[in-house]
Amino acid sequence: MTEYTEALEPNAESRTAVVLRATGIDKSFHRGVWPRRRTIEVLKGASLEVRAGELVGLVGENGSGKSTLMQIIVGLLGADAGAVERPERLGYCPQVPMLWDKLTADEHFDLFARAYGLADEARDRAVDGLLKELQFERYRGYRVEEMSGGTRQKLNLALALMHQPKLLLLDEPYSGFDWETYLRFWEMSEKRRAEGMGILIVSHLLAERDRLDRMYELCEGQVCSC
Amino acid sequence: MLSGTVPMAASFTREHLRAPLTLALLLVIPVFFVLIFASVLGEFAKALGGTLAEQSATAISAGWAAAFLSGSLAFFQLSSSRGADRRLAAAGFGPVRVASARIAAALVLGITVSIIAFVTLWLRSGVEHPLHALVAIFGFAAIYIGVGALIGALVSSPLEGSLLVVVVFAVDAFSGPQMTSNGGLGSFTPTQDAANLLIAAGGGEGSPAADWLGVSAVTFGALLVALIAFWFVARTRS
Repeated sequence: MTEYTEALEPNAESRTAVVLRATGIDKSFHRGVWPRRRTIEVLKGASLEVRAGELVGLVGENGSGKSTLMQIIVGLLGADAGAVERPERLGYCPQVPMLWDKLTADEHFDLFARAYGLADEARDRAVDGLLKELQFERYRGYRVEEMSGGTRQKLNLALALMHQPKLLLLDEPYSGFDWETYLRFWEMSEKRRAEGMGILIVSHLLAERDRLDRMYELCEGQVCSC
Repeated sequence: MLSGTVPMAASFTREHLRAPLTLALLLVIPVFFVLIFASVLGEFAKALGGTLAEQSATAISAGWAAAFLSGSLAFFQLSSSRGADRRLAAAGFGPVRVASARIAAALVLGITVSIIAFVTLWLRSGVEHPLHALVAIFGFAAIYIGVGALIGALVSSPLEGSLLVVVVFAVDAFSGPQMTSNGGLGSFTPTQDAANLLIAAGGGEGSPAADWLGVSAVTFGALLVALIAFWFVARTRS
């Protein structure tokens, strides 16, 4: 069982406050049925920390458990052992957009605004800003099934950002972005880091290393700094 | 709590009604079942030594139309949205509210389907006890909301899951009351009391209290199963 607590240090508003601390996370998956039943150990005591105003990378080979660790931090997946300290107000952008095909972008914003507890005015302000920032205003009335892969990914990202979370978890958020949008994405991330948001981003690309404050690597179920 | 759940349920309902094929099936399936499936059911009953009369077969077919549509829609509510529902639950609604909105949407669709099936039956052959028939048809729909949601929670593949819904439906439909000479599986299927009510209502007869109690209990149980299934999918996975 994962133990979740509200983060974190006494001066949690300060720029150096820890906004995410995952400690000793274990996770195994059981696949198949007897006699082909197998247990796959994905995480073995993984631990990491993110501070306010930090842009931290999480890298690792395919199947190393990056997305699993993200999902455990968000609360979509339970861990076998370990503890997670994180703020209640967090944003999560999954690797594969988790959206409803028949609903429009505006309907998604409305549902998530209610889930985050945003008032109408705050929602409108946040949505207008994000639509402009990610340049997809004209798609706000489109259903997800009518959008391109890149526009879906923009919506996926915007939903994670609309409530200005203290901690932002991004699982390869730019797949499907064109080059301009990719660069804009990094501008947005750096702007939010400067505003004090803690950001943990799963990435495959070593070229992005220069943009990050720190990087963790997942290997054999454990996290090491690199 | 309702301030978030009601708009969520409205969105989930809209999501289904925006599929043109779903809308077409809402109209076509009841007509197909009442006009064609009823005679197939009657022929099968004869072949199996049952006593299902034409009028009863027509009445019960309206129930099967509601069951088939509600079960399929409940299954696809789960199979097409499990990731997004879990994300919304984790964003702050929690799995109970998401499940409540899902069951509300399933009920709206079930009631809609029941009304369409009832109207089709009424236009085809008239109904002696319309209120009894409507309640019985809704009983079919609610029971299959439970069946569809349960299968949707346990089987993630859309192909395998939808096939399983059809298999359960076929076994249930062809082993219902008056389908065989020896009763067959009829007394063990979840829809038997609803089928008895519907057959009686179609023929202008009243129904014993035991059938009403049976339908109420099974309907309540099925909706509880559906609620648990929707919650199961929206919760944190272990």
